[in-house]
Amino acid sequence: MMNMFRSGLNVCCLALGKRLSSTFAGESALPSNLLIPPNLVEVQRRLRPLPTDSVPVLHKCEAEIARHLRPRQAWLESLRSRGEDQLGVVELHPDVFAVHPRIDILHAVEVWQRNFKRISHAKVKSRAEVSGGGKKPWAQKGSGRARHGSIRSPLWRGGGISHGPRGPTSYYYMLPMKVRVMGLKVALTSKLAQDYLHVVDNLEMPTPDPEFLLDIVRHRQWGESVLFVDANEAFPENLLQAAAGLKMVNVLPAIGLNVHSMLKHESLVLTLDAVKFLEKKLLWHDSRFTPLYPFRLPYSDFP
Amino acid sequence: MSASVVNMLTRMCATIKPAYVWLSPMASSSTAEQKCAVVESTEEYKYVERLIPPTKIPTPPLHDGPAPSGWRPPSVTPDLPYMVRRSRLHNVPVYTDLTHGNRKTTLLRKIEGDIWALENDVKEYLVQLTGKIPLTQVNEVTMSIRIKGHFDKELKEWLLEKGF
Repeated sequence: MMNMFRSGLNVCCLALGKRLSSTFAGESALPSNLLIPPNLVEVQRRLRPLPTDSVPVLHKCEAEIARHLRPRQAWLESLRSRGEDQLGVVELHPDVFAVHPRIDILHAVEVWQRNFKRISHAKVKSRAEVSGGGKKPWAQKGSGRARHGSIRSPLWRGGGISHGPRGPTSYYYMLPMKVRVMGLKVALTSKLAQDYLHVVDNLEMPTPDPEFLLDIVRHRQWGESVLFVDANEAFPENLLQAAAGLKMVNVLPAIGLNVHSMLKHESLVLTLDAVKFLEKKLLWHDSRFTPLYPFRLPYSDFP
Repeated sequence: MSASVVNMLTRMCATIKPAYVWLSPMASSSTAEQKCAVVESTEEYKYVERLIPPTKIPTPPLHDGPAPSGWRPPSVTPDLPYMVRRSRLHNVPVYTDLTHGNRKTTLLRKIEGDIWALENDVKEYLVQLTGKIPLTQVNEVTMSIRIKGHFDKELKEWLLEKGF
């Protein structure tokens, strides 16, 4: 008996040693059922080389840039062919695309976006709403039982719930406009910093074929999900048809761009018009007065 | 304030847009409906437009040296590891805070670059000024420095001299 136990212990130790050694040896020691087939191994994402000075700058920021800051640069691409199609370089305003990464603000905006439109419908019945329970179950004194006034008291089985959720509750609140704007800037900045922000000249594609779009996304390593943003809502028909059946590709006009959508999609593809639109709208907040009256009422230079 | 402006605007619109012109004030009462006609005049709307306020803070005009109000523009970007930008009203972003009735602090905002170098310089300057090492608090997330005591005037002057 003792021998058996000892031999079992030895086998155990051997197995442990083998496992330990295999972890040190690396992947080669993995059993065959745990090896990932080579066609499923994720391709290492390569960061694109940053533009050099020799590349032509096709677009410069319209707004003035502070003297101590440099504009950020991004490649201008197009969707006209499957391969890499770098037309040139566009300059992005550092006050929109290179702000201080306030992750706390990003979180605040994300939480706000989830909550402000939430209505909780949780509701339970109180002792007043549970049917019955009007009569005193037994006399106050003399029966030898505990005193009770209603069979629907929270102490009773089948009674009402005390301090339960009451009816539809609104979770509406509003973050200050400057915080929401900062959230957008931080999201754009982090997308650019992670090389997940791409600028295209327009969203014209030669075919409405979804495979073509998927090929572009795969070949340029745009990640698992892509959000296409244009300045206005008139998207090209080819892109709309191609993206209609794809769950990983979505389109959004720039007016609807928000932090949640940016974080939800791995990469963000902006058209040049969308970049101009965003810069104009977001930079306006850096030099605006506190509103005298709501912005929906007339102002002489509302952007 | 805002309500009064809106009120004024709407009242102006109401009074100016439909200008009633009496065609025949002495006509008989039998043609009462032909008595007056409405003429819409858009000419005077420019006076309303004059009242509509802007949203953008104007950039200050170029001055040689300080403005009559004492405001000074930021001079050439100083060659320092940090940068302090102006607030949106073009002032130096130094603010005082008074909490709990007696807890006096000074807040330095809108810092970019090496915040710790700025904190060192602020400390050095305040040691010269007061002879004591000031208590400071650096917030790297919001990029701001909080200093115990009210030193807003001194720090504003100091930052202006540095060219911010």
